[in-house]
Amino acid sequence: MKFIVEDAETHLQIKVTEARIDAAIATPFKDKLREIVMKNRKPVHLDMTAVDFMDSSGLGAMIAVRKSLPANLKMVLCAMTPNVERVFRLTRMDSVFDIRPEAIHKEARE
Amino acid sequence: MTAGETRQAVSVGFTDACKQPMFHRVLNAQPLTVRDTLTDMRRRFAADVGEDTLGRLELVLAELMNNVAEHAPAAGRRNEARVPVIHLCVVRHKSGLACALTDDGVSLPDDCVLPRSLPPAIPEDLPEGGFGWFLIQDLTQALSYYRRESRNYLAFNIPFETEGKV
Repeated sequence: MKFIVEDAETHLQIKVTEARIDAAIATPFKDKLREIVMKNRKPVHLDMTAVDFMDSSGLGAMIAVRKSLPANLKMVLCAMTPNVERVFRLTRMDSVFDIRPEAIHKEARE
Repeated sequence: MTAGETRQAVSVGFTDACKQPMFHRVLNAQPLTVRDTLTDMRRRFAADVGEDTLGRLELVLAELMNNVAEHAPAAGRRNEARVPVIHLCVVRHKSGLACALTDDGVSLPDDCVLPRSLPPAIPEDLPEGGFGWFLIQDLTQALSYYRRESRNYLAFNIPFETEGKV
């Protein structure tokens, strides 16, 4: 389970590298991501570009991570692929998360 | 419908039904095996079925097969779970994908196949589960279920077009 984490001062940028968030990995995915967001106590921007598929257990994991953040810290989901977006839309969870179509803006770092 | 789906649809009759692409697999109900099966199925239909339809099919099959894995029956004195065996068959026809899925796991509770709504989204305590059967029912047509002897039998259709529903 690998996440690419960057601290962007105002928030934490996390790139999900798993192509599938399904029943095979939902529990370790949730545990690892929750550990990262709890440790940093910042709003979270998740880059979902690499995720091709997510099922209801993956959705459950995302909701669990969202719930582990205090209400004042946002969780933004960026650049979801159509198959992932469908799961959020059909379950109405698109109203619970802050969903943005664009990829995370990469600031020049050099 | 995508161009591939339309081209196929107009050419289908009883006589050439045997030319329709299909996918058949017997597999152990385990999450990684389910994952491999879905990847192979996607590859089989990639040329003939549009991405949107394939995405809906993949989601429904993942929900159903992982349910079988999750609710594997306990067996034996040491209470080890017995891994159920799933038979999956998907055939493309003129308006969608006809699916049949059987398994020798525990029987489905009746309310799975009854019309259901989403779990309530209470902002302070969001549900983390209970979405699976809602998604299955929402994305399938003509879902039917019966149990005979030690097997569950499920059949349903995944339409090409969803009339603005999805």
